[in-house]
Amino acid sequence: MNDWQPKITTFLCHWCSYGAADLAGVSRFQYPPNFRIIRVPCSGRVSPKFILAAFRHGADGVWVSG
Amino acid sequence: MVTFKLNGNTVQGEEGEYILQVAERNGVDIPTLCHHKALEPAGMCRICTVELFDGRRSRFVTACNYPIWEGMEVRTDTEIVRDGRKLIVEMLLARCPEVPLLKKLAAEYGIEEPRFKKGDDDCILCGLCTRVCERMGASAISLTGRGLEMSVDTPFHENTEVCLACGACASVCPTGHISIDVVKESHSSRDVEMIPSEYDMGLKGRKPIYIPYAQAIPNTPAIDRNKCIHFKTGGCKICADFCGVKAIDHLQQDEIVELNVGAIVLAPGFKPFDPSRFVAYNYAKHPNVMTSMEFERILSASGPTMGHLVRMSDHKEPKKIAWLQCVGSRDINRCDHGYCSSVCCMYAIKEAVIAKEHSGSDLDCAIFFMDMRTHGKEFERYYDGAREKHGVRFIRSRVHSIEPAQGSDDLVLGYATEKGEFVEESFDMVVLSIGLEISRDAAQLAEKLGVGLTEGGFCSTSSFSPVATNKEGIYVCGAFQGPKDIPQSVIEASSAAAEAGTLLSEARNTLTREKEIIQERDIRGERPRIGVFVCHCGINIGGVVDVKGVRDYAKTLPYVEFVTDNLYSCSQDTQEAMTQVIQANNLNRIVVAACTPKTHEPLFQETLVNAGLNRYLFEMTNIRNQDSWVHKDDPEKATEKAKDLVRMAVAKVALMEPLQEAQLAINQKAMVIGGGISGMMAARTLSRQGYAVCLVERSNDLGGNALNLFQTWKGEKVKHQLDSLIESVRSDSRIELRLGTELSNVEGFVGNFKTTLASSAGSEVLEHGITVLATGASEYKPTEYLYGKDQRVVTHLELDRLFMADDPALKNINTAVFIQCVGSREPERPYCSRVCCTHSIESALHIKETNPEVDVYILYRDIRTYGEREYLYRKARAKGVIFVRFSLENRPKVSASPDGLAIEVADHILGRSLVIHADLLALATAIVPYRDEKLAQFFKVPMNEDGFFVEAHAKLGPSEFSTDGVFLCGLAHYPKPIDESVAHAQAASSRAVRLLAQKNVRVSGTVAQINPLYCSSCGVCISICPYSAPHSIEKGPFTGRAEINPVLCKGCGLCVASCRSGAINLKGFGTDQIMAMINEI
Repeated sequence: MNDWQPKITTFLCHWCSYGAADLAGVSRFQYPPNFRIIRVPCSGRVSPKFILAAFRHGADGVWVSG
Repeated sequence: MVTFKLNGNTVQGEEGEYILQVAERNGVDIPTLCHHKALEPAGMCRICTVELFDGRRSRFVTACNYPIWEGMEVRTDTEIVRDGRKLIVEMLLARCPEVPLLKKLAAEYGIEEPRFKKGDDDCILCGLCTRVCERMGASAISLTGRGLEMSVDTPFHENTEVCLACGACASVCPTGHISIDVVKESHSSRDVEMIPSEYDMGLKGRKPIYIPYAQAIPNTPAIDRNKCIHFKTGGCKICADFCGVKAIDHLQQDEIVELNVGAIVLAPGFKPFDPSRFVAYNYAKHPNVMTSMEFERILSASGPTMGHLVRMSDHKEPKKIAWLQCVGSRDINRCDHGYCSSVCCMYAIKEAVIAKEHSGSDLDCAIFFMDMRTHGKEFERYYDGAREKHGVRFIRSRVHSIEPAQGSDDLVLGYATEKGEFVEESFDMVVLSIGLEISRDAAQLAEKLGVGLTEGGFCSTSSFSPVATNKEGIYVCGAFQGPKDIPQSVIEASSAAAEAGTLLSEARNTLTREKEIIQERDIRGERPRIGVFVCHCGINIGGVVDVKGVRDYAKTLPYVEFVTDNLYSCSQDTQEAMTQVIQANNLNRIVVAACTPKTHEPLFQETLVNAGLNRYLFEMTNIRNQDSWVHKDDPEKATEKAKDLVRMAVAKVALMEPLQEAQLAINQKAMVIGGGISGMMAARTLSRQGYAVCLVERSNDLGGNALNLFQTWKGEKVKHQLDSLIESVRSDSRIELRLGTELSNVEGFVGNFKTTLASSAGSEVLEHGITVLATGASEYKPTEYLYGKDQRVVTHLELDRLFMADDPALKNINTAVFIQCVGSREPERPYCSRVCCTHSIESALHIKETNPEVDVYILYRDIRTYGEREYLYRKARAKGVIFVRFSLENRPKVSASPDGLAIEVADHILGRSLVIHADLLALATAIVPYRDEKLAQFFKVPMNEDGFFVEAHAKLGPSEFSTDGVFLCGLAHYPKPIDESVAHAQAASSRAVRLLAQKNVRVSGTVAQINPLYCSSCGVCISICPYSAPHSIEKGPFTGRAEINPVLCKGCGLCVASCRSGAINLKGFGTDQIMAMINEI
C-alpha cells in the first residue's frame, strides 16, 4: 500500500478558487499531482450528483472549492 | 544540415553545433560540470568525454566543444567512456571530497572512496565563473597561478572596483565555491547589496530583469536599466540568448509620445510615509519595527514569508504585536502632516484580526491610537468585532518611543494608561501605521499642469466639483485628491470618468472602427471533428511536460482529427496558423492545452470566430499554471496529468454545441429616484452626457437634506451652490421632473424597465433603460437629552437652519454644548454617521467666529475628522473649543432649569464629573436610512441590517448593484458629506453611461435554460437566483412554470444544481458535459 496514491476530483469555481490555483502556479508552489481539476462557473453549479458520480468513477476524494 | 550517428541512431544538427547540443536535443544525457548554455564551451571538466569513430579508428573527444561533421559516429555510453568518466569523477572527488554534487556523481559511478590522496578544496577549476565574468564584460576574476597553485582569483588577490558584485559567478558555480559572501569578502570593493523588491517593500530581493508582481499588467518582464550589467559594461545579454521568441531588445530607448487628448485624469496615488526620520521609533535600525505596508507583505501568501507570520530578526513567530497609529499623520511637530490619513485605523484593525487568524488566538495584538476612526460602511461593526470577538486590545495612548529590549530582539513601549499610570510593555514586533503622503513627482506634475494644491499637498477641489481641478479639463481621483480608502477611490475614479465623459460627450464614438464580421459555419449534423493544440509555452510547459507525448496521446482520443504542438500558441503567427488549420481540416471543435482560460480563453475564442466557428465550440485546459508549474520535480506525473486533462477536455468539447449570445437593445432613457444633491447631480451628469432623464422625487421640492445645511467643511455656503444646482436641473430640457411622485410598480430589467409612477395627478408608465437609486436618508429624531422637551436642545440640522436665518437668539448665547454620536455607534444603530464630527466642529467654529466670548464644548467619543478635515479640529482647539471625551457606558446627563441647561459629563482627564451650564445644546444626530423595502423589492436589490442598500462590491463596485442596470449613490448607500455624495452621483451616472453607450447589450451564451416540460413549478430557482433571472411564465401552455431571462442570467448554475426536476441546463457547463469530464478522470 506504500505506493498507493489517492485520486482526487476537484471542482473549482472559475472566479475564485480556479484563479487561486492559477496563482499557486504563478507563485511556483509545489503540490502533489493527484488532483484533476474541473472548472465550474460557480461552486453552486456542483450538484450532489457530480460528487457521487466522481466517487462512482473511482475518485478517492472530491474537493469542491468556491 | 549535418547528419551523423549518435548511439547508433541517425541524428541531425546545424553546421557549427557541438555534439552536446545535438545530444541534448535528442534526449541523450551526457554529464557535464563546466558547460553553460550562455557561454562558449571550454572542455575544462572532461566529464562529457564521448567516443568518436571517424570511419577508421576510435578516439575520445569532449562533447561540449567538439563540432559535429557529416558521417561521424558518436557513442556516449560505452564501457570505456564510462570508465574514463569514472576516473575523472574519482580524481575530482579526491580534490573536493565535501562537494555534494561530486558526492552524488561518485555514487552514480559506484565510487565509495577515492583511491587518491584527499584534498580539502571545493573548486574544480571548471572555469564557469571566469567565463561568465568575462561575458559580463567585467573580467574581474580569472584562473591565476599554474599547476597545483591554480585558483580563481582577482589580480594580486585584492578586492577590486572592477568586480561589479553582480553575483553571476556565484550563480553558475556548480560546487558552491563562490558565493555572494565570498564576492563581498575577497573580490569586490563595492557595496554588495540585494536589489530590493519594490513589491515586497524591500523585504526580499529581485533580479535586474523581473516581473514587478505576479498579477502585473502587462505580465511581461522589465529590465531595470540601473541594475542590469549590460547597461554598465555592454556585456552579458544572456537573457536575449535565452528568450525563445527573441523579444528582448537592449537597444530600445525611452520614447516621448505626443497624444492629443480632450481631458486629463490625474491618479498618481500616494506614497507611504517613510518613518526612518523618526529616530525614537528605531525603524531604520531594528528589523522588528516595520511599517504597516511591510506587514501587509508578511501577511500575504505571495509575500516574502509566503504568508507565514514571523518577525524579521530571527524568523520567530511573534506572540505579541503592537500597532502604533498616526505615524506620519496628525502630526505637525515631526513631519508637518496635519491631516489624518483616513485609512490607517481600519487597516490596523484588519491587520490585527488577520494576524490573529494566521497565528491562532494566543497572539496578543494591541493597537495604540488617539481616536479610533472607523467611519466607513461596516467598519464600526468590524471594530466592535475585533475588540469583542477577536480580543484585539485598543489602548488610547500616543507612544513616544520604541526601545530595543536588553538581551533580546524584543521591543519595549512605554506609555501612559487612561488612568495616567506609566506602563512599560514588551512586544515581539511593532508595526507603524504609516500615513499617506503625496510624492514629490506628483507635486511636480501638479505644478507643471498649473493645478492648485492644498496645505497637505493634495489636489485642491471644491465640494460641488470634488474631482475637478482648477484647470478646466483636468480631473483628479484617488489619494491625490485627499487621503482615502479603496471604495472612495473607486467612486472618484468613476466620477472623474464622468466629468471627462461629459466634457467629451460630443466626440463619443468618433474614433471607433467597425469590426469585420466573419460568417459562422453551420455545424449542425456534423460529427465532431476535434483539433487539439498543445502548447510548449517556451520552456514553461515544455520544460516539464512531454508536450509531444501529450500531443501524440491526444491523437488516439475519440473524434480527434488533428493534433499539433506550438512553441507559443498565443503568438500572432500561431493564431493565424490555427485559423488556417481549422478551415483546412474542417474542424468543428477545438481544445487548447496551454495556460489558463482566465487570461487566454477570449483570445482563442476570437481565433475560432475568425475561422468561422462558434466561439463556444472550444475548451481550454490548463497544463501550465495547474500542472507544469506546480509539479516541476515530477515530469512523469505532470505529463500523465496533462494527458488526463486533455482527455477530459476532449470528452467535454465533443458535447459542446454552438451557443447564441442574446442581444438586447437598451432604452436610452434613464430614471433617477431622489431629488437631493445626489439625485440631481446624477440626473444632471446623465443629461450632460446626452441622455434623457426622468427625475422622480417623492416630496414637492428639490434639494433634500441639503436644504438644511449651512456650509461645507471647506466653508462653502451650501445654499448658494444648491440653488444653482436646482436651477440647472429645472432648466435642463433633457430632464423631466416628477415631483410629489412615488413608484407604484416596476417591471422589466436592464435596458427595458417599465415603471409606474403615481402622483396626485394620476399615474403614468415610464419606459427607461437604467435606474439610479438616490433615495437618501433622514436625520434621527432623538428621544434622549431632553430633545423635544426643551427648546434649547436642537439637532445639528436645526442649528444649521438657525445659522442660515441668522437667528437673533444665537446672539445671546454664553455657552454652547455639542453632544456627538446621538443615535450612532449604539447597539441599535452600530454604525458611524461619518459626517457629524466635522459638522459639529464646523458649527462650533462658526459660533466662535461670530462671538469669541461664547464658551463652546464638544462632548465626543472619538473625533473622526478624517482626511484634511483634521485641520478644522486643530483650528477649533486653537480657538478655544473645549473637547471632553465620554464613553458609551457613561453618557452625558442633561437636566433643565429656567436659567439654563445643566450637562453633566465624566471627564477622563480630570477623573471627575464636570457640570456645564449651557444655553444651547446641539445634538449630532445619526443619519438614518429610509429602509425602503418596497423599492428594494421593485428593483430586487439587497439592504443591510442597518437599512442601507448593499452595493455590488464593497470595494470595487460601490456605485452599482449586482442587479444589472440599477445604480446607487448618496446617503442611501451610507452617510456621507456633500463632496462625497456629488462624487458618488457622478460615479453612478458614469457606470450607467457605460451601459447606455453600448446601445445594445450582448450577453454570454453560457446561460441556464429551463425545459418547461420538466419544470414542476416549485419556485426554487426563482428564490435562489442572486440575479433575479428566473421568473414564472404568465401566459400560454406553461403558465406557472419557470423561465430564465438570458439577459439577467450570469451563468453561475446555482439553479441547475438546485432544480429537483432536472429541468434546467447550463449551456456550456451542462450536466452531460461535466459528467463526461468526471467519467474521464
